[in-house]
Parts: sequence; structure tokens; C-alpha cells
Amino acid sequence: MDSVTMKLSRGLLPLLLAIAGFAHATPKRDLVVWGVSVGQDQKGQDAVIREFARRHADINVRILSMGAGHMDPQKLLTSIVGNVAPDVINQDRFSISDWASRGTFRALDDLIARDKDTDPLCPTPEQYYKAPWSEAVYDGKVYGIPTGADNRLLYWNKDIFKEKSKELLAAGLDPKRPPKTWSEVLAYSKALTEYNRDGTLKRAGFMPNFGNSWLYIYAFQMNAQFMKDSKTCTLDTKEAVAALNFMIKGYDLIGGFEKAKSFESGFLSKENDAFIVGKVAMKIDGDWILADLARYAPSLNFGAAPPPVPDDRYNHVGVFKNEKETYVTWVGGFALAIPKGARNVEDGWKYIKFATSLEGRLIEAKAQKAWEQRRGRTYMFRQQGSKVANETLLRDFLPGEKKYQDALRMHVSMAPFGRIRPASLAGQKLWDEHVKALEKACAHSASPDEALMAGQKAVQLDLDAFYNQKNYPTVDLSIPLKIGVAALVAVLVGLVIWFGRLKLGNLAKGEAKWAYLFISPWLIGFLALTLGPMVASFFFSFTQYDVINPARWVGLRNYQDLGGADNASVMKALGNATYLACIGVPLSLTTGLAIALMLNMAQKGMRFYRTFFYMPAIVPGIASAVLWTWVLTPDPNKGLINSFWTQTITPWLSVPPPSWLQSAGWSKPALIIMGAWGAGSGMVLWLAGLKGVPGSLYEAAGIDGASPSKQFWSITFPQLSPIIFFNTVMGFIGAMQEFDRMYVMKPSGDGPVGVDDSLLTPVYHLFRNGFAYFKMGYASALAWMIFAIILILTFTQFKLAPRWVHYEADK
Amino acid sequence: MTSNALFAIGTLLSWVGWFFVLRTVILGASLLGNGPDLDKPRVMKDLGPAAATAAILLVLASLMSMKGGTAVGPGQWRFPLVWFVMPYTAWLGTFCFAMGAARLVQAWLALNGEEQVARFKSAGSWGVAVVIFVGLYIGDKTSSVTILKGGIVLTVSTALAIILLAVAALVAMALAGRAAATRGFARSLISQIALIVGSIVFGLPFAFLLITSFKEDRDMSSANGIVWIPKVQDTLPFFDKKDPVFEGTYQGQTVQGSIIEQHPDGTVRVDIFKPLAIRGTTFDAPKSQLKEVPKDAPIVTAVLNKVPIKGLVVENLDDGSQRVSILEPANLKGTDATFSPGDIQPVRHPGLRWQNYSEALSYLPPETNSGLVYLKNTLIIVIFSVIGTILSSSIVAYAFSRMNFPGKNALFAVLLSTMMLPAAVTLLPQFLIFRQFGWIDTLYPLWVPAFFGSAFNIFLLRQFFMGIPMELEDAAKIDGCSYFKAFKDIMLPQIKPALAVIAIWTFMAAWNNFMGPLIYINSPENMPLSYALQMYNSDRGAEPGLLMAFAAMTMVPVLALFFFAQKYFIEGVTLSGLGGR
Repeated sequence: MDSVTMKLSRGLLPLLLAIAGFAHATPKRDLVVWGVSVGQDQKGQDAVIREFARRHADINVRILSMGAGHMDPQKLLTSIVGNVAPDVINQDRFSISDWASRGTFRALDDLIARDKDTDPLCPTPEQYYKAPWSEAVYDGKVYGIPTGADNRLLYWNKDIFKEKSKELLAAGLDPKRPPKTWSEVLAYSKALTEYNRDGTLKRAGFMPNFGNSWLYIYAFQMNAQFMKDSKTCTLDTKEAVAALNFMIKGYDLIGGFEKAKSFESGFLSKENDAFIVGKVAMKIDGDWILADLARYAPSLNFGAAPPPVPDDRYNHVGVFKNEKETYVTWVGGFALAIPKGARNVEDGWKYIKFATSLEGRLIEAKAQKAWEQRRGRTYMFRQQGSKVANETLLRDFLPGEKKYQDALRMHVSMAPFGRIRPASLAGQKLWDEHVKALEKACAHSASPDEALMAGQKAVQLDLDAFYNQKNYPTVDLSIPLKIGVAALVAVLVGLVIWFGRLKLGNLAKGEAKWAYLFISPWLIGFLALTLGPMVASFFFSFTQYDVINPARWVGLRNYQDLGGADNASVMKALGNATYLACIGVPLSLTTGLAIALMLNMAQKGMRFYRTFFYMPAIVPGIASAVLWTWVLTPDPNKGLINSFWTQTITPWLSVPPPSWLQSAGWSKPALIIMGAWGAGSGMVLWLAGLKGVPGSLYEAAGIDGASPSKQFWSITFPQLSPIIFFNTVMGFIGAMQEFDRMYVMKPSGDGPVGVDDSLLTPVYHLFRNGFAYFKMGYASALAWMIFAIILILTFTQFKLAPRWVHYEADK
Repeated sequence: MTSNALFAIGTLLSWVGWFFVLRTVILGASLLGNGPDLDKPRVMKDLGPAAATAAILLVLASLMSMKGGTAVGPGQWRFPLVWFVMPYTAWLGTFCFAMGAARLVQAWLALNGEEQVARFKSAGSWGVAVVIFVGLYIGDKTSSVTILKGGIVLTVSTALAIILLAVAALVAMALAGRAAATRGFARSLISQIALIVGSIVFGLPFAFLLITSFKEDRDMSSANGIVWIPKVQDTLPFFDKKDPVFEGTYQGQTVQGSIIEQHPDGTVRVDIFKPLAIRGTTFDAPKSQLKEVPKDAPIVTAVLNKVPIKGLVVENLDDGSQRVSILEPANLKGTDATFSPGDIQPVRHPGLRWQNYSEALSYLPPETNSGLVYLKNTLIIVIFSVIGTILSSSIVAYAFSRMNFPGKNALFAVLLSTMMLPAAVTLLPQFLIFRQFGWIDTLYPLWVPAFFGSAFNIFLLRQFFMGIPMELEDAAKIDGCSYFKAFKDIMLPQIKPALAVIAIWTFMAAWNNFMGPLIYINSPENMPLSYALQMYNSDRGAEPGLLMAFAAMTMVPVLALFFFAQKYFIEGVTLSGLGGR
């Protein structure tokens, strides 16, 4: 059929082209692929998809990139539980087991076993390095096929080493080679670090967590295991403490974590990367920086070496006496997987086989290389999970310059020594907690042991919740539904009987029937969409329920977690909401009031100004969030506010511009400034209020000789107090439920909402628990906590109101 | 400490000086304004001293010797500035201290004993607050006060420019004020100044949005501050013989691309690069179907062998350099030369880059039909939400206000109490309910609930119905009108303004709804604008020109509605904000 169509289309092309839109004689099968980015600089992936589509004319490949290749876990879970799952997903490999544990991925073992011998494209474990392959294996089953495998190396700036050779030689160090051990890297760092006159960093030798190292790489070098087995988290071990101590030393050496962080925040990624601009002499990073180095700093003279290891490991003494691998590195990357509930598993598997095969990998490299060359850039191939692919790329796609060749060779040669993050159902949580612990310990706000212990406990809690769930009885969710329906029927029957017995005249009865009919839309909505869900939500708050697996009755545990295990996040969210409300609400109100007072005084242009000041308030929320993300961009060459800041405040007071949304301290002030911009709706309100103040009051006050400020405080303010009151209440309630702005404006795609969760609000926390972790039960408990707080707030504010709110009717 | 004190004194002097400058300006303006009850001699008497004080203070301030801070170049001087960076405890403590001190002074000046006692009491409570905050400040080891020292650097020319600007503003305002010379001229003047300044501050983000949406990529960042005047590259149509561009038809749409392969049967393979959404797609077509179209070649200037030349960039070479076909001077015309990108300057003129808008749309997935599908989805949600809300809320409100039925008060109390309920509580179960219906990745969950009325709207409309005199309806009922007819024909027309307000609220809420689509929608065909914009933001966040163009396009319909229905918007705010009043 297809070939016939092809022939026909050749012959009748003029005609067929005209009606090309209708020319699909055979309906194509849809293949929905998520998380694959086909953006401007992603010609490689694009080429793989196009080639696949060309070979399978009966498949219609649909790409949903979901934001620059980054896959939003919330979207995937909603699609799976909503039975609209994609067929293939490109997913960060370390999170696959986390997800597989919840039954969100389809195991691929049967497909591999079936095609192993018949299909040359079929992936087998032998083709892959051990680490990347096993990263997507959970509980003995394969859930994803690795694509890239980015390992980390120590990149060192040869020019800086040369420049500081005197200092290095004085310290007994060789300026021609990179450090090999921990003590060496610290010594090099000390010799290479330079300070400004005011004590701030001018150039850092080595910042332990700058680039992409985290605690993981150092812990791997100590042979630390973050998970003892799938059920026990061992974040806090003496190996991990030793690794963390090394990081702390590294930071203390250059003046402390805070100083290093503020130095770091002065740079951005890409062309402004601190290593690229020569402000950091050494960093541990993945192979992705090669493309940036080639593109933005072609003249930079750098070297790539295995990451420095503990001295004992290097010398093979002590606990490392029998250690075979001197150098180890950390490897990450993505994998292609098939979600549970995928409708087109066969074609999905076809796609995975093709994309991960040597052929697919080479098509990607070739297309990407052609693209880069067209743009005048040097192509740097990316490290692969597949051994064969990596070696072929090294042979056929090596760039011309020696420094890049050396770096790529070093990456490939380190590939067999890659270690991976433990495959665990709490993988994401472990990651988040380890970041927290590392930051706390490096800033000396907790000892390494304490910080790691706190993280370990938090992870263990999630593990226990999963492995102990069998201790909790399952509950049939239809039981409460049945009870509810039964209760409803009973109540309705009762009401009908009660209605029949009422002594009403015919007329009144008729009226009542009509009235019930009229209010029925609300009544049905209330029962089905408010009361029912409320009851259900209350019921859920006593269960552990992830929509995919049966619910378990956990009693009060969710509520205990609010005050216990998850208390830090809950308090953070409430604290942020309070901050935003306590400073943001009064500021917006006063801004609005100031404009309104001005408008009231001005005799001309009232309508024009009113329109103008009100306009920001009606700009759609997402559009204004997008706009303000740019207005608040820290780079003074791009961001509106910082552009002004560097031209005024910096020269006046020598204060560098803040990094707004990118920093924990400034992100909330940033949102507050943005909120003040939208103060127009408040202004309209104040104007209406001001118009309502009787002029006779001012006249009387004027005769008594009251000053304008006196008039404001004793007439205007009391008269406006109901508006102030109402808006304060609403402002607080609103701050608790803020979500849209934070979602759009948070700097990183996933993980914390703003740096250190500085933009987390209670409703955001609920959303995250409900739709990202699918902890429906816990999220319901959160919802009830929010409800309770709102009730208490409103109630107390109404209680306090009579003390200062002036109502006309009281007189 | 002495240098700190010096800075503080200098700052104070300059601020007071500025205050007197402002006063001089206002007095001068009111003199020019020539209002009816102008006390000319008095103003004249005030004007002189004010101007003199301002001058003396500003000169003094600028002459204060300054130690620390950044150095000043020759021919410059600066007004000292001091700012205290303090934790909130210190700020609140300072504030309480100032309040307490003020109360003490008031107590000292009090007319009678009773007032004195009251003032002392108040001062005492502020004092307690001071102690608490000082305690908190000392208790927190991390808290510290940093004094920032610096100054506004002025040169003779900038100072002169500021003075000229002030005089010009003065004259302009005086001329404007002359027409409006009435009572309270000075107040009106101040508020006009403040409002104009405010408008500029409030308008800047809008201006930034619009201008960015018309800028070329190279103007997105600049070391000299934001580029406010967009410029566009001059181009000339150019038929490239080496790599010609062809226009053809692919799946019903006009595309541009280059030929990458010749087939023996006379057809050729075309690699599409426009529209951008299907860039990279190839298709086969007979050569006769294709039409060669010119490229837009950018005009540049450069220096070739010390001769300034002007030419067209005709090719980007692999090593990053560019081949330029020379246009001027005439003797070199037609010859080619190769330059590295750093050696050529583009020829540009101030103008708007409208292509940002079309390019922004052409990057959207093809199945969204250049974003029209997003608009369609948003409109579906908006229209059905508005219709649903109006119909259901008004009829329910009518029943609650005008009809009697057993249980009315109880039900109304329930309705009122649901107003307090945060959406968060019902969010998860509603998701599960809609999932049962198979409504995930459809638009239904986003508008169907509107047909069940909303508590706040019902409450509001009920208030309006209550305000309508009973007689109207009674007369109709006597004429044998049914309840529904009475509602539809008599009552509903009476509350049209309120309905308009509710319609606008619903419109805005539905248009802006973000969390709903975020939870329920997965595929591009079902996305509304708000969600699409967020996706676009995370996809093309690095291209502000396109992003701002797309954002501007999502705003236009709302802003248009605002300009046509401003009255209802403003009324709506008043209604909602005065809620309980």
C-alpha cells in the first residue's frame, strides 16, 4: 500500500502536492516521545528522529519536548495516572529507579530477550559500560537504555599555572602538571588563590563544589556507599564524613563557603563561566564544558586530568591497600524508557533500539557536527553509555586541536571507572538531602556528621514509608465513596419526606419546587465538587496513596509528619508566605494608596493616570512573570533593574547588584518589587474609598485648623480602614496560595523552589507533594493545614477588627 | 568613626539641601502659575531664603572632606551618601527608638498632666519594644550593621545638565499649571510631578517588554546599559548562485529551503529552513515546482587594504569567517573578500524587527497552527467559563434572593461558608474525579465546573437582586408570569452591570488560569495560552526577543478588552475589594 502510494505520488506529484494535507492514505500510528529536545542547537537528536521517521513511514513521531529537554516529573506522573502516558521518555538516569519503584516504568527485559538474537539494533548489557547500564536497573530489571554518559574530570587552566609558577614552585609544587591527590589540590589551590584588597576573592584556585562534583564524587573516591542495600540509607558514614571534611577544608582555605558562594554568584554559565574567564584555576566538571570552551574560549590553554583522589588511595595504603582502581569518577546521563501505560510499546521500543544503537548515535554525532561546523564552531562529541559508540566516536569524530583531543581521550579512558548514584526508590530525595547536608556543613552551621545524619534520617523515612507500607492495612477507596453516596441518598430521602410533611400551601410548594430547581446547579456542584472532595480529602489525609498503588491507612502519620519529618519544609513554606505577606502586602497597599492620594490631588489627567497605573494589574500572570524574570536578570548587561543598579548604586555606594531570583536572600524582595508593580488594583480600590469619604469632614477639620497629616490620620485613614482590613486579610490568604509566579520564576527546573526553597509557598509544597511525588495523602494533610491556618487567620483578624476598623454603621 | 560621622552629616546636609531645592522650585512655579489667591509678596519673601539655603547646604555637602569610599577624579566632586545595612531587628529597634523619642518630646511639650501621662506611657511601650529588638539583635550572632559610604559623583557638566533640566521642568510645569491655575496649585503640581515619575517607573517594564520584542539578538545585552532604541540590519535581496534558496509547497504550506540532492529523474531533495518549526525536514519535488527566491543578505562595512568598503555578506564559511561581496567603492564592485566576524561592522538603522513576532510563532509545534490552537483553547475555556458562570450564578442568586423555600437560610449559610474554603483542599480529589471521567488532557476540567456557580458570584448577585424593588416582579407575577420568565425577562436585565463585572472577572480568571492546565493538560493541541507561554519560556528562555514577542501577543487580547471595558474592570475591583462593606 505504501509503495503504491509512493509511486503514485511520484507520477501525480503536481496534483498530490496541492492536496498533500489529505494525502495520508494509511492512518499513521502515533509515537509520542517526551523529554527529547529538538531545539536550535540540538540538531543531532533532531536528525535521529527524522531518520527514524523516514525509515518507518507508518509511524508518526510526535515530540513533546517539555522545556528544553528537561522532563517534568509531575507531567509524567499525571499522564500515567491519567492514562495518557507517552510511549518513550528521555529521563535523567539516576531517577529511573526512583520512578520504577512506584511502578511508573515498563521493564524492558522481555523485549531485550526477544530481539537480542534477531535484531542487530537491540541493546545488550555487553555493549555498555557497567555503570551507566546498571544505573537504570532496579530490582534486577532493566527499565531504561542509556544514551549519554558524562563523566567528570579535573579541568585545569594551564595559563594560570604558568603565570603563578613562581608561587607554585615556592610551595614545592610542579606548575606543569595538575594535582593528583586531595592534599595536592589543596596546596595548589592555596598557591593559586588571589584576593582583592578588601579581602574578597579575586581568583579562586579550587572550589570543591564548583562545576559538577557535589559530595558524590569525593564520597565515591572514599568508596562510600550512600545506600547499604535498597532498604537502608547510609549517607552518614565515616567515608562520607571524610569526603565532606575535604570539601570543608577546600572552602575554608579560600576564605569560607559564603565568600566562595558570593564570588561564584558573580558569574553565570556559558561565556561567563568563572573557569572560562580565568577566575577559577581548577574545577571538576563533565564533558559538556568542552563545547563551551571551544565556543567561548578557543584560546584558553587548559588540561583535563582524572579528579584528584584521597592521598591514601593514590598511595594504596591504609584502607586502600588492596584497592585496584586508583582513579574513579562519577558518571551520569540520560536514558530512554517506556512508561507504564504507554499505548504504543512496540514502536516505542523500535525507537529506543534505533536511537541507542551505534548507528543512531553516529547519525546524531554526524548531524550535530555538520550543524556546529556550519556555525563556525568546533564539534565536541559527547560521552556515550555505549562502549562501542564511544570508541567509534573517539576514532572518527576527534577534533583537530590537541588540547580537545587529549581531554576527550581522557574522558573515554575514565569511562570504565565511572561510579553512579545508588539506584534507589528515594534517589531524588537522597540527592536533595545530600545537597542540603553539604551546604550546611560547608557553611559550618552543622558538623559534617550532624548534617549527614539529618539527611540520612530524612531519606530513611521515605524508605521506611515504602518498605513498611505492608504493615499498614490497605483501604478500599470505594468504601468511603459508597458510604458517602448512601448518606447522601438517606439525607435526600429524609429531606423529601420532611418537605412533604411541611404544611405549605400549593403556591408555596410550587415556589419551593422552582427554587430548588433554580439552585440545583450550585447544589450539585457543591455536593460533587466541594463537599464530596472535602470529605475525600479528609479521608485521604489519613492514608498513603499514590494513585497507582492501592491506598494504605496510616492513621495520623501524615499529620505527625507535618510537625516532624517534613517540618523544615513546612515551616520554610509558611515562613516564606509570612515574609511575602508581612512586607509585600503592606508595601503594595501603601504604593496603591500613595498613587490614589496623588490622583485625588491632581486635577488633571486622572483618567489617563488611572488607566496607566492599573494596566500592570491586568497583565496575565504568566506573561508578567515571564517579563519580570527578564527585568530581574542578574546580568547588568541584560536585566533592567540591575542595569540601573550598576549605573547608580554601584558607583555611589560600591555595592554590587544583587542576583535577585538566583539568591536565597533576594528572591523574595524581588517578588515583592514585582508585586508593588501590580499595585494598581489596590489603587482603584483606594480611589473608590477616597471618593466615599464625605467632604464635609475635611471642611470641618480645615476650619479647626488641622494639618494635612493630621487630617489624613484622623479622617482619611479611619474612613479607609475597612478596605485596609479586607485587603490585609485577603493578602495573607493570597500569599499562602501563591503558585504561578513561583512556578515560572524559580531559577532551576526542578528540585528546590528558588535557591534553598526560598520561594516555596504552602500551596506550592502541596502541589509538589501531590503532583510531583504523588503523595496524595500527605498533600491532603497539607491542604487541611492550610485551610486551618486560613480559618484561624481570618477569625483572629475579624476578632481584632473592631479595635481599629471603622464602620460607618457603628455610629 | 569620625569619617562615618562626616559622611552622615554630609548626607543629611545634601538631603536637606535637596528639600530646599524642591521648595524653591514649587514656590517659583506657583509664582509663575499666577493663581487667584496667590500671596505674591509672601511667596517672594520665602523664595529667596529657600534658594539661598539650598545653595549653601548643597555646596557645603559637596565640599565635606571625605575619607574612605571611592576616589574622585579631577574636576569632579560628589554628594556624600550613607546607607546602613542592618538586619530587621536593628531596623525595627531604630524605628521604635525614634517613635519613643518622639513621644518623650511630646510628653515634655504636653499641655496638661493627663496628656503627659498618656505620652509617657506610650513612650514606655516603645521603649520596651526597643529593649526586645536590641535583645534579639544581640542574641543573633550573625547580625551586624554595615555602613556603606559613597557619593554621587558629579562633574561640572552633569551638574549643569541637572540644573538646566530642573529649570526646564519648572518652566514646563509652570506653563501647564497656568492653564489650571486654581486653588491648591502647589499640591496639584507636586502630585503631577510624582504621577509622571510614577508613570515612568510603572511604564518601564512595559517599555522593556515592547522594545525587547522588537530588538535584534545583538542588542539584547550591552555593557552600556539597556539598549532602548532598537535597530535593524540593512539587507539587500541577493540571489546566491552557490547556494540558491527555493520556494516550494510542502504539505500545503509555502516553505523555503535549499537543494541538497539531485535525483536522476529530475526531482530534487529540498532541505527546509523556513518555517522554523519544520526546519530540517526534507522533501522531494520536481525542479519545475520550485521558484528561486532572493536571500536577505546583510549589508556591512569593513576595511580592505586600508580602503573602507561596503558590501553584502554572501556566505558564512566553515571557519567562522564571512565572505563579503563588495558594493562600494565602485571600482571594487562585484569582487569578493573574506573577513573574520570581528572585522566587519553591520550597517543598521533604527527600526523595529517585526520578524521577532513571526519567528516566535513559527517556532511553535506545527500541530498548533502557529499558536492559533492555543488561542482557540483559551477561548474555549474563557467563553464556556463566562457563559457557565453567568447562567448558573445568576439563577442561583435569584432563587436565594427572591424566592422562599424551606431550608433557604441554612443552605445560604453553607454557601457563604464555602467562600472561605481554599481551592487547595479540593484540588486533589477533583483531579481524581476528572481522572475517573477520562478527562485528563482535555479542556473539560477547566470549564465544566463553571456551570455549577461560584459562591462569591452568587453572593454578589444576590446583593444586587435584593436591591431591586419587589414591585416590578410582583406586577409580572400577577400577570401570570412564570418564575423563570420573571427571572429572565425582568430581573436579569436589571443587573446587567453586575453581570458584566462578573463576566470580566471570570474572563480574567479563565484567561490566566495556569495551575489547572498545568495539572490537566499534556499535549500541545490542548494547551491554552498561559501554559504555552510558560513552556515557551522554558524552551526559548535564551531568546528574549522571541519570548517577549510571544508574551506581548498573549497580553494583547486582555489589554484590548481592558480598554473597551475599563469601566467594568474598575467597578469590579471596587466590588470585590469592598467585599463585606
